Amino acid sequence: MSDLTKPLTQLINLDKPLSIEEYINKGGYQGASRAIKDLTPAQVLNIISDSGLKGRGGAGFPTGMKWSCVPMFTNVDGTKKDNAPEFKYLVCNADEMEPGTFKDRYLLEGVPHQLVEAMIIAAHTIEANRAYIFLRGEYHLAAKRLQKAIDEAYENNWLGKNIQGTDICLDLYVHTSAGRYICGEETALINALEGKRANPRAKPPFPQFSGLFGKPTVVNNVETLSNLPHILKNGIDWFKALSPNSDPGTKLYAACGRVKSAGVWELPMGTTIREVLYTHAGGMMDGYKLKGLLPGGASTDFLLPEHLDTPMDFDSISKAGSRLGTGGLIVLDDKNCPVAMVLNLLQFFSQESCGWCTPCRDGTPWAVEVLTRIENGQGRPEDLDTLANLCDFMWLGKTHCALAPGAVEPLKSALRYFHDDFEQHIDKGCCSYSSNQSSVHTATHQGGH
Amino acid sequence: MNDSSSLDSDKGKENNNKVTIYIDDVAHQVCANDNLLAGVLSEKLNLPYFCWHPSMGSVGACRQCAVTQFQDENDTRGRMVMSCMTPVTEGMRIGLKDKGSEKFREQVIGAMMTNHPHDCPVCAEGGECHLQDMTVMTGHTSRDYVGSKRTFTNQYLGEFVGHEMNRCITCYRCVRFYSDYAGGEDFGVYGSANHVYFGRQTDGELESEFSGNLVEICPTGVFTNKLFSAHYTRKWDLQSAPSICAHCSIGCNTSIGERFGSVRRVVNRFNHDINGYFLCDRGRYGIGFVNSDKRIRQSKGIKFSSKQLTNLDLAKSLVHFRGEKFIGIGSERASLEANFYLQQLVGEDKFSSGLSNNEMAMANEHQAMLHHYKAPSLSAIEQSDLVIIIGEDITQTSPRMALSVRQALRNKSIELASAMGIPSWQDAAVRTIGGEQLTPLFSLNSVSTKLDGSSKQNLILSPDKICECLSNIIQVLCAFIAGDKVVTSNVIDALKDEATVVFVKSLADALLIAKNPLVISGWSLQSAALFAQINQLMATLHSEPFIAHTQQASKANLAILPRGCNSIGLLSILDEQTLSIEQVLDKLVAEEAQSLVLLEQEMGGLSEALLQNLRENCQTLIVLDHSESPISELADIVLPVAAVSEGDGHYVNYQGLVQRYHQAHPPVLPIQDSWRWLDSLANCIFSVNKMNKDNVHHHSLKQLNESLSTQFEHWPVDQRYFNQSNNTGSSNEKGIARQTHRASGRTSQMANISVHENKTTQSQFDSFNFSMEGSVASTNDEMPFTWAPGWNSNQSINQYQTQVGGELIHRTQNLFLNFDNKRINQHNENGTNRTPQVSKENFGFIFVNQITWHQGDWQAHNIPEFSLLHKRNIISVSVQSASENEWQNGQYLKLSFNVEGEELSILATLQTVEYIPKDLAFGQIVELSTKHSNLSLSISLPDKADIAQHQQKEIIRIEQAKVSKANILTQLKINDQTIPIRLVSGGLDDV
Repeated sequence: MSDLTKPLTQLINLDKPLSIEEYINKGGYQGASRAIKDLTPAQVLNIISDSGLKGRGGAGFPTGMKWSCVPMFTNVDGTKKDNAPEFKYLVCNADEMEPGTFKDRYLLEGVPHQLVEAMIIAAHTIEANRAYIFLRGEYHLAAKRLQKAIDEAYENNWLGKNIQGTDICLDLYVHTSAGRYICGEETALINALEGKRANPRAKPPFPQFSGLFGKPTVVNNVETLSNLPHILKNGIDWFKALSPNSDPGTKLYAACGRVKSAGVWELPMGTTIREVLYTHAGGMMDGYKLKGLLPGGASTDFLLPEHLDTPMDFDSISKAGSRLGTGGLIVLDDKNCPVAMVLNLLQFFSQESCGWCTPCRDGTPWAVEVLTRIENGQGRPEDLDTLANLCDFMWLGKTHCALAPGAVEPLKSALRYFHDDFEQHIDKGCCSYSSNQSSVHTATHQGGH
Repeated sequence: MNDSSSLDSDKGKENNNKVTIYIDDVAHQVCANDNLLAGVLSEKLNLPYFCWHPSMGSVGACRQCAVTQFQDENDTRGRMVMSCMTPVTEGMRIGLKDKGSEKFREQVIGAMMTNHPHDCPVCAEGGECHLQDMTVMTGHTSRDYVGSKRTFTNQYLGEFVGHEMNRCITCYRCVRFYSDYAGGEDFGVYGSANHVYFGRQTDGELESEFSGNLVEICPTGVFTNKLFSAHYTRKWDLQSAPSICAHCSIGCNTSIGERFGSVRRVVNRFNHDINGYFLCDRGRYGIGFVNSDKRIRQSKGIKFSSKQLTNLDLAKSLVHFRGEKFIGIGSERASLEANFYLQQLVGEDKFSSGLSNNEMAMANEHQAMLHHYKAPSLSAIEQSDLVIIIGEDITQTSPRMALSVRQALRNKSIELASAMGIPSWQDAAVRTIGGEQLTPLFSLNSVSTKLDGSSKQNLILSPDKICECLSNIIQVLCAFIAGDKVVTSNVIDALKDEATVVFVKSLADALLIAKNPLVISGWSLQSAALFAQINQLMATLHSEPFIAHTQQASKANLAILPRGCNSIGLLSILDEQTLSIEQVLDKLVAEEAQSLVLLEQEMGGLSEALLQNLRENCQTLIVLDHSESPISELADIVLPVAAVSEGDGHYVNYQGLVQRYHQAHPPVLPIQDSWRWLDSLANCIFSVNKMNKDNVHHHSLKQLNESLSTQFEHWPVDQRYFNQSNNTGSSNEKGIARQTHRASGRTSQMANISVHENKTTQSQFDSFNFSMEGSVASTNDEMPFTWAPGWNSNQSINQYQTQVGGELIHRTQNLFLNFDNKRINQHNENGTNRTPQVSKENFGFIFVNQITWHQGDWQAHNIPEFSLLHKRNIISVSVQSASENEWQNGQYLKLSFNVEGEELSILATLQTVEYIPKDLAFGQIVELSTKHSNLSLSISLPDKADIAQHQQKEIIRIEQAKVSKANILTQLKINDQTIPIRLVSGGLDDV
């Protein structure tokens, strides 16, 4: 069994990512080779399902299960069925916009070939003949490097027609987004890719049935896909052995905020918050104490120092009252105002709201209005009730997608854990944190033309 | 005679496929294929909503329709679902009145109210505002939001639709209707978050013929009817009547609203088979002609002794003409009874249809087609799986049908989605799955149209080549059915033009597999030969071998669109003795007749010279009409006729469906229904007065209908129908109120004239009252307006339908006329053609008149807003012709037309078009009428003087329109101060 413990980041070189020859020399494209030459799509699907790989984009949905819903159009003898659609699509969600999340960028800039290889494997499994990497537009360097890797892959017969002598054809494109957080939602992403407004779609129908241009489509996160070459190459036992007590495989964890060294680290799935924060991020900066943290990006609930020993996997964090999300810690120190932090987050969410459904569109700016007044010392006692009502108003099932519920998570957990701070703002008529004496200015929305 | 609507299918709404669901623990039966919201609303329960619409389906944007769904009886928590997005399932349990969903629905309104301005007192929507209704329904009364409201800059969107974006609640209905449903391209949604903006990219007139529907579809006051706002009144103050649009042959149902004696607006009156929820702008705004400064409001040529014209005055003046031989000319826009009555008064051998020889030949073909093929309703058209449009730009001549064709084009998407288990009301999913796949549309026209982009094959040919093409298609079809491959390929090889080959092959293939094909054509090409070909095509498609070969579910449908609102009504009374216009002229010249009575006939097809000729050969010219025309200026006697809002009568639509229009308000004397004038003429002039021996003036339409049916065997309508239509239900002798029960000012509106309370206007024995007294409209399908408790807006129509979007609860049986396939104008075969032969050598082009929706109807085309819509004359020729002649796109050209032997010279701006034949030209020329098509045209370069003169004329025309618009508005407001109230009804002597 392979002794590789950091498969995702092992080949990363941020200054000069490996060319295709270098990547192959170090064992690259072996996973893809095994998949397309030795295995049928059904066999690859079994491997990935058995591996227990869960999505790394924030939802943690089992990858094998997502793929298994895709309708397949190949007969037993390998011929295509009559009603096969002309195209089936694989989309890589590289629209990394969750605040506090920068892990995918690390992979995209550092080892682009890993993703290309991964997409070949995934496309083969779902019979996709066209694939897109939907890339956050601001990631200019990643766009260049990815395109270079793709060009090299075409030149070396890893993309295009009859890949490596098989019947498999795959075209892969990089599509840079025009920019919007909501494009990280898979159906909004699909709409954006089609050139439409990036509103999410209602489900059903699910993208596996009617996705991009109405055709079967699967959307996966960069990190999720990046696991595929390694699973195919080194096997399921190795994969599970990477984190024997938790979800299988490794995870890219990150930390930002007033920590000594912010960054991204590949660690076994289930590493505790304490280990990530203190062992790898170096703990809090001198003079600052930990007050709370968001474990997986802006749209997760706050956790407190009492939760430091929680393993960072989907179930454990969920039991602690939050979500693993993207696994990137946003750390709140004791010298920064929680109200201001929550206000900042809600400003982000209200700005990024696509404007489709009423609760998110009109609820998030309302929350911003209330929080702004509280932060500026103009809060009223009933404002906390208003905020609580808004949290209820914008919760799951009531909105069209998960953006607003995500916005509610930090807000409701802050109201619960930092209630005193909110009350103090209202009672005292000012923010008592030293770093926040000046009044907050909200962008007033003069809409339209 | 009565048709049981076998052609009308309604997407399974009326079928018996029901499931049981439990709403607040009470069992209800709802339609199985529908969504939960539609089910709840169909049960007449109050569940608020915004973005869902019965014609546009669900998208789940507003979240207003949330209900709680429970797993079973024991589940007390449930989960929130959006009812518009939830399919009904057998046994499902939902809570409507549970605290959770009630609270949430109130919160949704609360969220919308954070930005909604407190405009109600000054907003045109107030009193019929869906947002107001839903706010009250959710019980939201107190505002928690203390912040500022976002604001927008509004746009100028043209003369018809006002824009006030601050009021927007972002329900997305407007863009979904304008772009998705109606295919408009210049209106969209911009921005994001809570500053989403609905408008155009830049200020400018909305280009869609359906822009007026934004007014009715917007649940708040973002889009309002500008013309209504200019001379405003609240909905509850309007006096309304159920009417029929008088501007094309579709016969959309309308509701005309009036106050203080002037018509204020037209809104849609729901009719499931025809217009559904939508009208075109011509129908909505064309009513302006009633208030026009070109209305004839006084008689001419009648001496009257007292202040007002009386029947005695009329008798004294008219009796001078007794004994003269009169020819009566009917029209395509006068009511059925007026036309028929005139025909009987003058005698069938002295009655003219007002059509030319050519048009009579067309009429002959048309009535044969009406005899053989029942025309489908618009709702049936929306079910077609193949649409073929030949020689008619329906997007402009009959826009409402084009809107239905657009929905038919979606059937492909609906079919694909259905195969995936997605119901048709899941609008976004259906559109995604369908992608760009459309139901096949084949367009064979002489002009480019707005539907070209959606067609599978689009061929533009000159009119005679269209006939040839059809003949080829028929040959190919026949050969194919006979299994004769050789003949088939021979025919195809004989076609010289590549484009035609592709078209013919493709269409033949499509016809062979279509299950519900539809052929549409119309009168605009003025070609009887075209109609003959279409007759042939239909015969082929209905022939036994064809049916056997293709196993079609239903035979091909045919819809032929004439010009006028009552063209088919006129057609139904024509026979072999009916005269054409040319024959009328001949008879006058030959002195077989001396005088003319023109019934609502502007003689639009005649040139000035011919009109003069007519006048000179005519001893006495009597004109009955509502608006000035060149011929009314020349008349000896002019009798002012009631417009559609002021009178009563029946129009027959393109299907042969007889529909009644009712007075919204009585006209100011001496204006009255044309059939009332005919009563006077009958008594004074005509010795042939079979029916009116007692010199009676019919007091009501009902009485007239009874007389006509008992006295004349050729009266085309079954009398039993009229009893039905005037019957307002079991206990409704009280009549139905035209006014709402909240109509205000009744006792004070005349106070500036007299402080005494005036007597209400008596109704004309027609089952509608000019007051708020009477029965509520809900027991009749002819509703003056819609209102229901808690539902002040047009959404109240839900309460009167069996299922939302379905038939009205109290709908009465449709009455269709029978067409016996009798010969029309038989003796015309030897008649002279008045068009002398002008040498065609100098004319290089065949010209086809491209009628625009605002210029296409004579009654409405002169209203200032429509006149302003015509920016410039345009002539389109092929790129090839232009380059050969070295003409530039956008330059002026001088057009010389051969119209009835006269040369007409007009300037127009050139537009070059790809893919049209070299010798074809089509254009929008305001000086030409709908009767002028298929003309010979030669083109030359104008000199500077020509251009200067033309530009000057145009400036004057535009200026006059603007001045006229302002004057009309001023006059209307002055009139408000002197409200005419008729105290009693009947005849002119009733002052």
